[in-house]
Amino acid sequence: MLVMQGEDRSKPWLSAEALAWLGTGADRTGDVLTLVVRARDVEGRGEARAGRFLVATGAIRPLHIDGASGLARTPWGTSLEAFGGVPVVARFGERDYDWAVGGRVAQRMAERSTLGFAYLQRRERGRLSGEEVGGDLAIVPLHNIDVATRAAYDLVSPGLTDALASVALRTTDWRVELFGTRRSPSRLLPATSLFSVLGDVPSTRAGTTVRWLAAPRLDLLATAATTIIDDRVGGDGTLRATLRTNDEGTASVGLELRRQAVPGAEWSGIRGIGTAPLSTRLAVAAEVEVARADHPDGRGDVWPWALVALTWHATPSWDFAGAAEGAATATVRSELTALLRASYAWGGPR
Amino acid sequence: MGWAPMTRSLLRLVIVVACLGLAACAGLLGIKPKTVGMQPFVHRAHLLNGVSCLDCHSGIAAAGDVGPLHLPTAATCMKCHEKPHDTHDCKECHGSAHTRERAELARTNLRFEHRGHVLAANGECVRCHVAAGDSHPESLLPPMGACLSCHQHEKQFAGRDCEGCHVDLPAERIRPESHVVHDGDFVREHGVRAASARDLCSSCHSERFCSGCHGVTTPGLPARLAFDKPALGGLHRAGFKSRHKEEARGQPGLCATCHSEDSCRACHSRENVGATGMPGRSPHPRTWLTAGRGGGDHGTQARIDPGSCASCHGGAGEQLCVGCHKVGGVGGNIHGPGFSSIKSKTRDVPCRLCHVPTR
Repeated sequence: MLVMQGEDRSKPWLSAEALAWLGTGADRTGDVLTLVVRARDVEGRGEARAGRFLVATGAIRPLHIDGASGLARTPWGTSLEAFGGVPVVARFGERDYDWAVGGRVAQRMAERSTLGFAYLQRRERGRLSGEEVGGDLAIVPLHNIDVATRAAYDLVSPGLTDALASVALRTTDWRVELFGTRRSPSRLLPATSLFSVLGDVPSTRAGTTVRWLAAPRLDLLATAATTIIDDRVGGDGTLRATLRTNDEGTASVGLELRRQAVPGAEWSGIRGIGTAPLSTRLAVAAEVEVARADHPDGRGDVWPWALVALTWHATPSWDFAGAAEGAATATVRSELTALLRASYAWGGPR
Repeated sequence: MGWAPMTRSLLRLVIVVACLGLAACAGLLGIKPKTVGMQPFVHRAHLLNGVSCLDCHSGIAAAGDVGPLHLPTAATCMKCHEKPHDTHDCKECHGSAHTRERAELARTNLRFEHRGHVLAANGECVRCHVAAGDSHPESLLPPMGACLSCHQHEKQFAGRDCEGCHVDLPAERIRPESHVVHDGDFVREHGVRAASARDLCSSCHSERFCSGCHGVTTPGLPARLAFDKPALGGLHRAGFKSRHKEEARGQPGLCATCHSEDSCRACHSRENVGATGMPGRSPHPRTWLTAGRGGGDHGTQARIDPGSCASCHGGAGEQLCVGCHKVGGVGGNIHGPGFSSIKSKTRDVPCRLCHVPTR
């Protein structure tokens, strides 16, 4: 992986960055994830991007494009964003007349809320594959309460594509979040897909996540949610404990239990992690997971997975990591994989 | 033209390319001038010897938002170190360039006045610059927690107003970890939080941060590369490959919010799982086409999570469905109750696959 970032002291309004995966193996070719030049007004009144980048704004789901976008902000809190380009295809695949355009207008209100409206139109081979409008709203009614919502509405096959809401209350040691999600899977697919015309069977999920700093070094997290899919009701839950074994947080042990009880997709799992510095430059990490599906359908009774990794910060610039990963997966009885990573950072503060 | 001039031209080209290549890789090969100014300044030793901060950083007590950094000059050092060991300027060797650069970035991009603060702290600079007490500090800038110990900034936090102090956060190149808490199940939550707060996110995260997970060319890079950091969250960690079918069915549509059908189909094809006509295993039970309502289990499951079907049968594989479900076919109408679309039945894709125009 090659990461490049450039900034000019004499021209602080201009920057560029790139992220390229150089690829491994015969059938996994490298590709470019980000290659973007960004110009911005240093007073914050606007910015423009061009190149390959990810559009993620308002209710528009992340869209990877080769194109350009512009954003303008006004002193009274209105922001206007527009983008256009060609949706990225993996491995330099062919693209004929594909493009996407959209934008978002948002208004900040009373320093405590932001309301935005977005629009997206996408075409594949010149044919309409998606047209959506969406809204997003974020409110901070009190200093320790955050509310965020977003919803997208499909204009091709009229109906709600997806809607998400989250309300979080936090104190020093506690954070409680209530969340809800409603999705229409057929509308999430491109409208040029045959599977987008099967009709609307939305899934709804609602639940809560509680995080408790039980002790200065001990975090406990619990999530419980109910899922309704068609006329079936299910649920899922997670319990996680993380204990940092030094003040710097560089050493820790953790345990996680998960259970999903959605009809037809039930599974349980347990996962343990551990990290510890062996010296100032050497660290070891281990991760173990065992998952079991209630209906394995010939994919093995349990799926164990384990990894042991060693990291060596050789110099301030050089960093090496190696790991051995072993697993019995749903598709192979057993496999052992070696992972190696070497990274070098040129220049600049780290 | 003879061979000799051509050889000379070629030789010149080779030399130029070799020089450029060498220059580009100089850092990697270690071919570079000896770096100066790389020894961290030992603040701790000076403090322990009773030298106060203001003895060297003269004028800092009255410094405003603009102006010099008030770093000591060689003359300042020589007030005590009367016999320097060489003729170079002290700061060429003593004091890391990185620390000085951080201070300059803060001077340019952070709205802050030392006057008032020095007096309020009674000249005890270490109350804020806590790292000055360390032997080899990475940065001497106070952590933001030091500011918050006196200034609550509740109004600014409520309005996400960072610009009051941080004139230009990206240019300042800092990471305000202390007040943006990625707490709870932030992997799930970040999508709805980021919808209205792109500006806040981009104050720390650059373009590549989002594309590392959501980019369609090589998705999931953080999980793939940070294998030595198991405490990092993420949807695709550990044995996700085995349990992804259950996870996808548990939250229909979730995968499609990031992945296209192509990414699923490419992997299933590589692993020899699923797609019709391939020598691999079929994931479907025997009753897939015959039991249940609406044309067997496959009809129900396809409506609940059409993305799963499309991950193998999308694209050209759709013809498998069309064979039975075209208008007048044995499969009948595939549209669920209440289906509507603005598309033309006979002109647009995919409608025209089944709604063959009558001639």
